Amino acid sequence: MIRLDRVSKTYTRAGGGEPVRALSEISADIADGAFVTIVGPSGCGKSTLLYIVGGFVPASGGAVLVEGKPIAGPGPDRGPVFQEFALFPWKTVRQNIRFGLAEQNVPRAEADRRVDELLDLVHLRQYAALYPKELSGGMKQRVAIARTLAYRPRTLLMDEPFGALDAHTRAKLQDELLQIWERERKTVLFITHGVDEAVYLSDRILVMSAAPGAIKADIAVDLPRPRRREELLRHPRYQELVIEIGRMMDTTA
Amino acid sequence: MILRALRSCYSVLLLLAAWELFARSGMVPRTLLPPVSLVLQRTAIALATDTFVADLATTLFRLLAGLALAVGLGIALGVISAQTRAGRAIFEPLVRVLGPLPKIALFPVLLLTLGFDNTPRIVLVLIDAIFPVMLAAHYAARAVDEKLIWSARAAGTSPTGCVLRVILPAAMPQILTGIRVAAVIACVVVFLSEMVQPGDGLGDQMIRAARAFRSVDMFVPIVVISGLGFILDTLLALVRRRALGWAG
Amino acid sequence: MIRFGPLIVLAALLALWQAAGMAMRVETLPTPLAVLPELWALFASGEIWGDLRASLYRLAAGFVLALATGVPLGILCGRSAAVRGFVSPLLALFYPVPKAALIPILMLWLGAGDLSKITIIYLSVTLPIVYHGQQGAAAVEEKLVWSARAMGTGRAGVLLRIILPASLPELLLGVRVAIVIGLIVMISSEMIVRQNGLGYDIFNAMDMAQYRLTYAVIVVVAVLGFVLDATFERLRRRLTFWAPERQDQLPTGA
Ligand SMILES: Nc1ncnc2c1ncn2[C@@H]1O[C@H](COP(=O)(O)OP(=O)(O)OP(=O)(O)O)[C@@H](O)[C@H]1O
Ligand SMILES: [Mg+2]
Repeated sequence: MIRLDRVSKTYTRAGGGEPVRALSEISADIADGAFVTIVGPSGCGKSTLLYIVGGFVPASGGAVLVEGKPIAGPGPDRGPVFQEFALFPWKTVRQNIRFGLAEQNVPRAEADRRVDELLDLVHLRQYAALYPKELSGGMKQRVAIARTLAYRPRTLLMDEPFGALDAHTRAKLQDELLQIWERERKTVLFITHGVDEAVYLSDRILVMSAAPGAIKADIAVDLPRPRRREELLRHPRYQELVIEIGRMMDTTA
Repeated sequence: MILRALRSCYSVLLLLAAWELFARSGMVPRTLLPPVSLVLQRTAIALATDTFVADLATTLFRLLAGLALAVGLGIALGVISAQTRAGRAIFEPLVRVLGPLPKIALFPVLLLTLGFDNTPRIVLVLIDAIFPVMLAAHYAARAVDEKLIWSARAAGTSPTGCVLRVILPAAMPQILTGIRVAAVIACVVVFLSEMVQPGDGLGDQMIRAARAFRSVDMFVPIVVISGLGFILDTLLALVRRRALGWAG
Repeated sequence: MIRFGPLIVLAALLALWQAAGMAMRVETLPTPLAVLPELWALFASGEIWGDLRASLYRLAAGFVLALATGVPLGILCGRSAAVRGFVSPLLALFYPVPKAALIPILMLWLGAGDLSKITIIYLSVTLPIVYHGQQGAAAVEEKLVWSARAMGTGRAGVLLRIILPASLPELLLGVRVAIVIGLIVMISSEMIVRQNGLGYDIFNAMDMAQYRLTYAVIVVVAVLGFVLDATFERLRRRLTFWAPERQDQLPTGA
């Protein structure tokens, strides 16, 4: 379990000037295997919160506890997937996916097997030898997800992973993500601007209010799984949730 | 292919032709301006002469030793200084003070403190050629996308591992550009050091020719050192293209 | 902190030099404190002024000529493929040539006076000015030119009032590099020819075993370099305050 215990963040700026209060006293418990999504207006501190959970940025107050222990920096138990993909441009698709395995000293043969498995999982077998600059946006995002899945983090931290993609690719990747999640039951902390995406994917949605960010609502998504898009879109509860959360977003912005 | 290459640098051919014709026209004495063909012919002969080749080897050794040190130290200092707040704070003022200083002015100090053989010349090349490498490494290392570093840290890479396996490769395109500039600087500086304080090397060949008013022989070392600079620059450009196909 | 950075660094370097001098205790590495009186005498006796003036005059003359010819040539290169096709290969040809080393040849042609030394500075300083002028002019946003043309600006007007100011940031970076290069060429050609100027003074003092004087002149050269660069940098920032700052461009020269 991941526990956020009154996490707050104030950015001080290097050249002096007003410090920015990004988060104020965020508390939440994220259960193992849950798919939790954070939505909120732009600039409310969603990314900041994710970076703090990842251990990339220190909190100014409060603590993040994993299994009861405060985190000390980044670790392979929490794997990030950034909106900007952040692939290593000097590595091929295969080498990118292999990176974490090499860092963990996984034996060569086993690492190769795992990479092949992931290439199949994200349907990139025939692109394994390409460099990131030769890939489309959707392919890059799939590589980024595979690279993180490779070292089997217990938790995935996903910051608007599908934000930069066209609607069709986004829908496809959402379904792929759900399939992976159904199979591996990782904890997912997911950030998005899309209310329908949030409802479609999650068990639980945290709605944040604008600066300094705080959790304004905590909504359980009581929709059946496994989810199928056509069925869900017609589901009255789905429509209710989308409208309800959409309204909340309008009033917080 | 060759034809196209020749056409793309027609101005150079024009210049050389003009030089040749002007020198042969009799309007200027041969001793002032020897024809290009003669200079090139004499260069070819020199390159087959033991004493000249020995001087060339001496120069090449100093040049490559200084350049290698500049590359190694420049990358290390540039990248390491970019990692800490103190390093970043010191870096710019340090470069603003030492950058505009004509390093050749320090050559006498190097001669006085390091002796009169290879060492002061190698160190001179080092302190001159290190700047473009160090600058490129420092600012490129600072500009590496932090998400790349975070991705590696999350995968279990140590901070040192990040410097070696993320920051260094990410900064490599700019560093190689810096090294190209450094290579040409190194050629120029080693030659000047041998002219300022002659003894041996290509620069010494030039000074001896100048003192004896052998005008053709004055052109030969210049042609050779410039050719060396050109070759190094081209080789490094090739390396950059080969090794950095990934860079967009 | 930012403004006083160079001063702090300077103090640290002087302290380092002092410590090295005190540790080595040799005549060939005097401490800055020992060099200071020499420096004072140099200026008090007026000895240095003549050489300083001679050096600076040649630098300035070469520079003015280079600006007058290099800027228009660079801008034309950036805007015309034909001009660029002619000039670029020549730039590439002369780029690796050690310009200061040409001084004996130029003296053969132009005599031992100022003319050969001004020419050598002119030749070496023009290169970066043309190169950066070309880069700047080539990168000017085409829409800017179109807008001006649509508003009725003529061809010459576009070059003068659109291209020139728009390429100014890059051009001035070239000038900054050129200042450092000019100084290097000035000093090294004076060291090669050994007639007069600061470069000559350094070696002359060394050959006469006046080591403190050697160091004093080197200090003068170092201060000259820093002052020229810092002064120009202030001017450059004032002229291009509107352009985004590029911090990877600090002074070094070939
Ligand atoms: N490195 C930083 N330094 C200073 N302030 C920052 C920094 N990063 C973020 N901020 C500020 O913190 C606040 C929250 O930023 P954050 O990126 O977390 O928002 P967000 O909710 O992810 O926004 P978006 O939906 O647009 O991605 C903003 O006001 C932002 O300006
Ligand atoms: Mg964000």
